[in-house]
Amino acid sequence: MLYPEIVIAGCGNPLFADDGFGPAVIEEMEKLSLPDNVMVVDAGLGGPHFIFTLLDPEVTKKLVIVDIADYGAEPGSITKLRVEDLPPGAYRDAHSWDLTEPLQRIKDRVDVTVIGCQPAKVTAPEFEIGLSDEVQGAIPKAIRVILETIGVDYGTTINLQEEGRQRGTAETCSSKDR
Amino acid sequence: MSKVVEISPTTRHEGHSKLTLKVNDQGIIETGNWCSITPVRGVEKLAVGKTPEQVPKIASRVCGICPIAHNLAGTEAMEASIKCEIPRDALLLRHILQLANRCHSIALHDILILPDFYIPGTETKINPFTAEEPVRTVAKRIQRLREISQTIGQIAGGDCIHPRNTRIGGMYRNVSEQAKTKMYDLAKEGLVLSHAQSEFMIAVIRNYHKRDFVDVGGMKVPMPKDLGFHDQGYLATHSFYGSSSLDECPSWDIRRFKEARPWDWYMGEMEISLEEPRYPIGGTTKMGTKVNPQMEACTGIPMYDGQPVEVGPRARLVTYKNFDEKGTQGQNIAREMEYQDCFYEMIDCLDELNTSGKVVADYIPDGDGSLGWASNEAPRGTDVHIARVKDWKVQYFSMLVPTTWNFATCSKALTGAPWQLAEVIMRGYDPCVSCATHMIVVDEANKVVAQKLIQ
Repeated sequence: MLYPEIVIAGCGNPLFADDGFGPAVIEEMEKLSLPDNVMVVDAGLGGPHFIFTLLDPEVTKKLVIVDIADYGAEPGSITKLRVEDLPPGAYRDAHSWDLTEPLQRIKDRVDVTVIGCQPAKVTAPEFEIGLSDEVQGAIPKAIRVILETIGVDYGTTINLQEEGRQRGTAETCSSKDR
Repeated sequence: MSKVVEISPTTRHEGHSKLTLKVNDQGIIETGNWCSITPVRGVEKLAVGKTPEQVPKIASRVCGICPIAHNLAGTEAMEASIKCEIPRDALLLRHILQLANRCHSIALHDILILPDFYIPGTETKINPFTAEEPVRTVAKRIQRLREISQTIGQIAGGDCIHPRNTRIGGMYRNVSEQAKTKMYDLAKEGLVLSHAQSEFMIAVIRNYHKRDFVDVGGMKVPMPKDLGFHDQGYLATHSFYGSSSLDECPSWDIRRFKEARPWDWYMGEMEISLEEPRYPIGGTTKMGTKVNPQMEACTGIPMYDGQPVEVGPRARLVTYKNFDEKGTQGQNIAREMEYQDCFYEMIDCLDELNTSGKVVADYIPDGDGSLGWASNEAPRGTDVHIARVKDWKVQYFSMLVPTTWNFATCSKALTGAPWQLAEVIMRGYDPCVSCATHMIVVDEANKVVAQKLIQ
């Protein structure tokens, strides 16, 4: 199976400033040692067509989506949302299959949680790389909330840090390492 | 008297685009304009001054569907500029990754076009989400094919959406012998499924195009036998992968390429004079609305030898495999025919792959400012990235993505079709609009005249 029991998907585009929050959280989470049944994945803009429509509800029981969400709070505030709380059109498949929402289709069979962070600036359609200080500062809190959601103790993950990932492959595009 | 009708936004593809159509009294398209309405982005500008490692990653973020093609084309453009040759095993891994991406893309496209077609022998249109047979089996097969492709991509590329294993000079890691065996097993399973899937798809595609009339939103529309025909020619740089050398691939020569401005190509301001509320998903644009494709289009018009050309599966098959079916039917069939070829090619690559071979070049130069280009045959067609790297800094970067080529070609192919079938023609190109948005326009003297469209 491509996706295990618990999937954590960071959505958003690092080229639109704070929209890169999801991938940035995933990049941090990859440094943690997580149980085998958890997969963290940088979904970029491809969440609907690469993940949400490919989950097997027989295997995957929990989906955590990490993204920015404009809910009128202070920039950098973290909130937990259910699919029902999302405005229509959020996570509509970019391919617009039949204009239904892929999350609505799976929400009764997979437990879906959205961890949203209030952005300070989203520059679309202009490109800009780099998170604002407020949103950058919200990453540790978001990780705590995610781990709490999936029932993993933060302490056990950070003590077992792996060298695992190659430096310079950072997917948030901001790495200057060669 | 011509009337103007507009389908906006177009559906069942990636990104935002629209079709503005000038039709005659019988509803036949006289002039069709298909254009992107996704706002302009400036990836080329953003790339300048960054390291060659960063730019392919930036490029791969412009689109949610084809990050792999952009990542590979970007990486190889940098390598072409710094003149770095990568080891054979690294190239094989990239090739496997790219083929896996294409297989996923074909499966995805199948779901998107199926609702246009009928279950052969019936008047029932196919709903890929229904729980009823025979469609259920097909839907399950599509899902399994997607899963197989994504898993192979994940193993070869390190990640199934944004591959992290690619680097300038090759790949970060080779795969283990066990991983190779797993990919092999998956490819063999995929091969069997793709045979069945392409046979099914070709049957429903032929059935659809053989009909005298088809139903669109309750309207009975005559089906022309030359739906989607055009005489624009084709461009493909490789039967599967791509190239970054003119010796290897004489069919793409950067000097024969030029880009025209949208305002020289598209129709000017018009008023909508035909409205059809029955048209699927909300009807067409309201009567009296002012439209102006010239100013709304977000892409330039790329030309090869002075003409827009078609890129994509049919272009590859025509160029390398003597394929001769034209029109929308030929295009959809060509895509299905690539299915099994992809898995066969993948198996060949796996046979050749040496898991103990090195995957990083011994020497990676810093670059002397030479112009390098790389084309990658993405699922939707030729994706060309052009770069200039000096002292490990990118001085110039440009992307010429597949759907940009196809916008103008498809616009030509619309002529002569009933307007209700314009979206069917468009979907034949499997458009991916968001990454097609690119705006560097050069004039006849090759000077940049517009980096951004004034809206």
